[in-house]
Amino acid sequence: MKKKFFAGCDIGSTTGKAVIIDENGVVASSIVPREVDPEETAHLALAEAFKAIPDVNTHSDLAYLVGTGYGRSEIPFANENVSEISCHAMGAYYCDPAIKTIVDIGGQDVKGIAVNGDGSVKDFAMNDKCAAGTGRFFEAMARIFRMELSEFSDLSLASKRAIPVTAQCSVFAETEVISLLAQKNPPADIAAGVQGAVAKRCFTLLKRVGVHPTVTITGGCAKNRGLVRELERVLRVEMASLSVDPQIIGALGAAVYAKKKARG
Amino acid sequence: MTAPMTGLAGLCADVRNELIEEAMGRGMIPLGYTCSMVPRALLAVGTLFPVRMRAPGVAGTECADVYLSSVICSYSRSLLEFALDGRYDFLGGWVFVACCDHLRRLCDNLEYNAKPDFSHTLDIPHRGGPAALEWTVEELRRLARAIERHFDVDMGDDAVRAAMVAEGELVDALRELGALRKKPQPPFSGTDYHRVLMAAQSAPPARALELVREFREAMGDASDTAPYRARFLLVGGSLDDPAYTAVIESQGGLVVADRYCTGSYPWLDPVDAGGDPFVALARQVLDGNRCPRMMEGFAQRVNYIVDLAREYAADGVIIQSIKFCDTWGVEASALVTALREAGVPVLRLEREYRQSGEGQLRTRVQAFIESMGK
Repeated sequence: MKKKFFAGCDIGSTTGKAVIIDENGVVASSIVPREVDPEETAHLALAEAFKAIPDVNTHSDLAYLVGTGYGRSEIPFANENVSEISCHAMGAYYCDPAIKTIVDIGGQDVKGIAVNGDGSVKDFAMNDKCAAGTGRFFEAMARIFRMELSEFSDLSLASKRAIPVTAQCSVFAETEVISLLAQKNPPADIAAGVQGAVAKRCFTLLKRVGVHPTVTITGGCAKNRGLVRELERVLRVEMASLSVDPQIIGALGAAVYAKKKARG
Repeated sequence: MTAPMTGLAGLCADVRNELIEEAMGRGMIPLGYTCSMVPRALLAVGTLFPVRMRAPGVAGTECADVYLSSVICSYSRSLLEFALDGRYDFLGGWVFVACCDHLRRLCDNLEYNAKPDFSHTLDIPHRGGPAALEWTVEELRRLARAIERHFDVDMGDDAVRAAMVAEGELVDALRELGALRKKPQPPFSGTDYHRVLMAAQSAPPARALELVREFREAMGDASDTAPYRARFLLVGGSLDDPAYTAVIESQGGLVVADRYCTGSYPWLDPVDAGGDPFVALARQVLDGNRCPRMMEGFAQRVNYIVDLAREYAADGVIIQSIKFCDTWGVEASALVTALREAGVPVLRLEREYRQSGEGQLRTRVQAFIESMGK
């Protein structure tokens, strides 16, 4: 009998992610930069993942495909779409069934998600349209510091005393940080202030859904070590590490849904 | 979109729509109002007719922001923007209720910047009871006297009673139309009904009644709403843009019932036109609105929503309010807790007056439907 593959494709605001699973677990994944057209991003992300599976060359070789992310409804060849909130919950649950609370920080929004015992969504809260505290915010900050994003993410770890910065508005925060740098304050302390401000925004969001261990962080910003440390400090909980790249959790959840839906 | 739908969408898209033009062409005078606590019948006497104030298609509030701070709700700021732009110059006047500080500031700034020919503010108590009733009756009579003086129309009991009868026929027709949404597969969507409601609040009651009947006839007994995943009761303050309901329904929701200021509640309750018309209207204002601005009655407001959800077989409740709305901001927080305790799934949404963040709204609604296992 031919082996069945189930895929999830998460079209976010900055990247496209694809995860392919079979009956035993994850067999391939990919992360590609976002194209203007979400459909094209989906094609590229899936094509990248297909490279790892000899039997799969196109989406028609998949048993079922679920789209998610902001571009989820723009993937015409997906069997259906599921919101990224449900997919992050299911993806995290798939990795660790003990997960009860998720903070998902993506390219353009932040979500707090409370997870039921079966991986479904119990409650959720989202930030509004402002980009403050999202991946785009960190990209802008890294540019101000003239650093790569990964370098900026680690900068605050060397801080001795954080300098408070506002994260209520991306534009004001940028202006504030430029002034602090011009005043020759230690970059690590300013960076710690930036991370702390974002962590506090997440705190507000998570308190709306409740913070119940085990807590984890998903989305691209989960790779930001400075932010994770600040979140742990502000929330007074340890962030559980996941067994897969936290950036592909949404796509993984979509793949898990694809498997469930294929079974009917 | 069917022909009646196209017509209705057009009526909702313009603050000075063709029904208003048509009525003005017959010498009728539109009076704007901003709150459900204004008894529409008092604005529909003789040649007058009520128009619910909206700012459809407002692109920004740059001029209004000079006068109203960013923590004033965007509904108030949008109305001021349109007023400063001369978009309401066709109105014969405005009638306000001192219902919240935001609309009071709008009223102040209209006086200051774009003073209408006629402007009146009703002072309605925040509590019920005999003294409040007596006060409200006098407030309504004061409004009637002011209208009579300014527009030279008869505002006697018989004239007001006649307006109440005409308004009653309209609300009866709308109520009957709305009740069709109790069906498992209603003949029209929540967006359609929202459009009917908004059009009906922008025309003389008699003309609006014709419109409702035309719509009802066009719909027939069909059950042609798109397949849906979940039925919703939509709750909250002012919501005059049917496009918002359309986004909810684009995700598989079907809005089958509503309790928001510009929706089918509170103004669709029947009012007995017998007896003293001012007493009947005052009772409606104080007791019928069940508005969160009232200091009492939270339990009744919760029960009303729970009962409505059951009556219309709603799977969940969506509470929407405009950012910085004090009245609904406070009410919504308590409502979420109370409804969840009653076993009703709830989604709480904050929005700007102008439709924006559509993608996020879609995600929230879809996730809400999924969280209900639908």
